[in-house]
Amino acid sequence: MLLPFLVFALFLQAPQPSQRTIAIDEAFAAEAHLKVGDRVAISAQPDPSAPAESVIVGAILRRGADPSQVARGDFVVRMHLDQLQRISGYGDRVDRFAIATRPSADIDLTLQRINHVAFGFRAYRSRDIAVETSRTFQVVSRFHRAIGVITIVASSVFLLCIMVLKVEERRRDIAALRLLGISRSSVVRSIIVEAAVVAVLGSMLGVALGWVVSFLVNWHYQALYRTPLYFSIITPPIISLAVSLSLVLGIGAGVLASMRLVRTPPLALFGR
Amino acid sequence: MIADSAPIVSLRNVRRDYALGAERVHALQGVSLDVERGDYVAIVGPSGCGKSTLLNLIGVIDQPTSGTVTISGKRVDAMSDREATSFRLHNIGFVFQRFYLMPILSALENVALPMAEAKLRREERDARAGELLAYVGLSSRERHRPSELSGGEQQRVAIARALANHPALLLADEPTGELDARTGTEIISLFQRLNSDGTTIVVVTHDEDLANAARHNVHMRDGRIVNA
Repeated sequence: MLLPFLVFALFLQAPQPSQRTIAIDEAFAAEAHLKVGDRVAISAQPDPSAPAESVIVGAILRRGADPSQVARGDFVVRMHLDQLQRISGYGDRVDRFAIATRPSADIDLTLQRINHVAFGFRAYRSRDIAVETSRTFQVVSRFHRAIGVITIVASSVFLLCIMVLKVEERRRDIAALRLLGISRSSVVRSIIVEAAVVAVLGSMLGVALGWVVSFLVNWHYQALYRTPLYFSIITPPIISLAVSLSLVLGIGAGVLASMRLVRTPPLALFGR
Repeated sequence: MIADSAPIVSLRNVRRDYALGAERVHALQGVSLDVERGDYVAIVGPSGCGKSTLLNLIGVIDQPTSGTVTISGKRVDAMSDREATSFRLHNIGFVFQRFYLMPILSALENVALPMAEAKLRREERDARAGELLAYVGLSSRERHRPSELSGGEQQRVAIARALANHPALLLADEPTGELDARTGTEIISLFQRLNSDGTTIVVVTHDEDLANAARHNVHMRDGRIVNA
């Protein structure tokens, strides 16, 4: 069996049990139908006749919520360092390695010392690497924001048109109200209140629908990519923005639509 | 102070012209008319004779090209929109051919609507709306919406609404136009009862039964009153 693998972390000073174990990620386990306790042969060569070592799957790891890992087809295998050195044929040469520090460690000092003594290596804080690797996501996020803005603008125009049309449909009712002695301001006020109620109810319905869709999106993609990452989230600030925006747009549309009608003489509204 | 004997409606030499494209339409041509307090007048005539225009002027929803219109002793022919709206609210009740009740409001709320505009307290307006609905025979339908009422019931609610603010004058434009004969007869009876209870009524109609039920008929032709 040959599958591409990525060395994600190495266990330094690992014990030497009689039967060596490896840890694999759950995507690998699912693809190769492996479970804890299975015995597998590992080799750095694609040739089945090449020398291989027999190991036992000791753990299946779930991938972290790291956006950079989501769409990668690589599988992760963690093995003891000496075994990795032997199989890869690299000896004690490595391209990258990670160092876990205690919470109390002075990171800056550690970085300085590593960079001072490890010729040819450059040490970075994991946070700095995360910022660097997330630049793509920042661009994607900007695209999403642009799409959101376009959607909101288009929705606003749509909402305005709908509101004007709905109010236009009631021009005779409004004309009747005016003939009964209901003032312009009362008519405008009632339409604005109605628009505000519709806007709030509509936005709440939209939030509920968004929550359901968000749940389905997360459920689907978390299963597809086998990740705990959330692809869609609805936060309180998003809800308040949606309701506020809807309220402002609804009231604006109500004002425009009602002002247009109350400025028209009642008889003209009746078509006379 | 206006004496009770003074006409509630008084039109003097009223003309109303409309521009229809390049043409000038003379809808009313020097109409003079008095309606006494407590009277019941039906304005009749062929379509386009100017009867609706006359009703619009009496209802302070239109202004004459020339002449004077006086309602309850007050000149109304040159009022601003705000003044006219307030005048209509407190002095004139309208009944339309197509009822124009607010669909989301109950019968009681529809009747109470003009009273809310007139700033009556909620208890007062609910009580009066209930009384008016009882007067038109709809006590049991107070909580029903217009869509749950028949045409005749809707028109009775509209009449109750028109009476909400104790108007000096009730105007009706083809109030039986949308109703079947039996329901129309009920509305005619209701108008007669209202008039006998002291309400001054002016109706515009093609309905002979409704016109015959009025105390006086005003016949119009080509923008003029030909027989009052």
